[in-house]
Amino acid sequence: MIRIDCHQHAWPEALVDALRRRARAPYVDGDELILDGEPPYRIDPALRTPSAREDVDLGLLSLSSPLGIETLPPEEAEPLLDAWHGIVAGLDDRHGIWAAVNLIEPDLAVLRAILAAPAAHGLQVPATALADPAALERLAPVLAVVEDADLPVLVHPGPAQSSPGADKVPGWWPALASYPAQQAAAWFAWHVAGRSLLPRLRIAFVALAGLAPLHHERLVARGGSFGAIDRHVYYETSSYGPRAIDAMVRVVGVDPIVHGSDLPYAVPADPGLGAAFSHAVHAANPHHLMNGGLR
Amino acid sequence: MTLAPSPAPPATASVLDAAQLPALPGRTLTRDELHAWVREVASRPELWERYVRHDPESGRHYVSLYRDADIDVWLLCWNLVDDTGWHDHDTSSGAVAVTRGAVTESRPRLGGTPSSRTVRAGRVFDFGPDHIHRMGGAVDGSVSIHAYSPPLWRMGQYSISASGVMRRYSVSYADELRPLGE
Repeated sequence: MIRIDCHQHAWPEALVDALRRRARAPYVDGDELILDGEPPYRIDPALRTPSAREDVDLGLLSLSSPLGIETLPPEEAEPLLDAWHGIVAGLDDRHGIWAAVNLIEPDLAVLRAILAAPAAHGLQVPATALADPAALERLAPVLAVVEDADLPVLVHPGPAQSSPGADKVPGWWPALASYPAQQAAAWFAWHVAGRSLLPRLRIAFVALAGLAPLHHERLVARGGSFGAIDRHVYYETSSYGPRAIDAMVRVVGVDPIVHGSDLPYAVPADPGLGAAFSHAVHAANPHHLMNGGLR
Repeated sequence: MTLAPSPAPPATASVLDAAQLPALPGRTLTRDELHAWVREVASRPELWERYVRHDPESGRHYVSLYRDADIDVWLLCWNLVDDTGWHDHDTSSGAVAVTRGAVTESRPRLGGTPSSRTVRAGRVFDFGPDHIHRMGGAVDGSVSIHAYSPPLWRMGQYSISASGVMRRYSVSYADELRPLGE
């Protein structure tokens, strides 16, 4: 059973070049990425190629959804998405990708074709596209294509909202003040409406779904219900360590937790919960996310 | 483009859903409640019998039947070679119903031989978070249903050296219920 890192990033040259040709956000100026809702970010040229690590056999690369490419007008998104999917031409067999799709006018036939490529292991969508149950319902036809292909979906933070003080916050601000809230809202939307819309879909939430399941007591206190743990919903660990992972295990168990590093933005560390836990999180659980089946 | 038909996973999000199971109180269960609850699940083999599998080649076989915020329920299949090693269940209480064959349960005794017994099909036992034990198959092809409340999280795993020195390792419950073969 192979060890999988479900969440890495890389910046293919063609994508950076396509972003350089843009005059408004998202765009690249020199080596700086300019977004509306975040401080400028320097794209280290060393990050143009996928990370190579000895502790995983397969690293799955994802487009940086905070750029908002998926929700640009289709004619603006197309060259950027093409540049993203073009990354597969240069990949070795230790890397694959999450496909991405324009969500303003999703072309489901194109999505089916992209998902049929061996290097495409599923579809990534920005959390902002399922911010509430109604949004999830609008997104459902896209997710149904992935369900039909028997592939998983990865929910990744989308663009941080622009605010007047956005240039006066530390660089980590969006990653703490915006991304977990987006992920939690997406998880709650899924919790309310997802399973009835997409009965067989396997879905993973980046960054432990913003720790949304830890709110289960508050959910019940406010009139919701938590119910059985859904064995086709997964939680990816990026940027979290032993305390948060341990807290999630207490609520959802070991089986839904999958390893993701968020390389190069974060560096993975073993949470120290024993050899069986490490095997589950690095190999057995990602295997079920990717392939489904009973366990 | 034509997509090949894919094997459909079960439509339910958990192996068993709450409606199929005996009523739950919506809070942590006491030992007595766990005992009665797991006895009732054991008496309804139509819920879990299809998941029983004994394959010596692939090691221990476990199925997570149901988990929510209050309870964690597992089907365990045992052969003679299976042995959990010494462990505790941290803050969880548990109840075990043996439904086929027999299992062994031992408790360590400092400076002495462990206290051991064989629990046969039809029997149920329960324990609190203070309980340290190890379990094994007493007969090839044995089956038991386990319920834990609150759900399993961490476990203490113990080693006892030849000279009797005992050490505790804090691990996840995967060390017992998702061993490396899974």
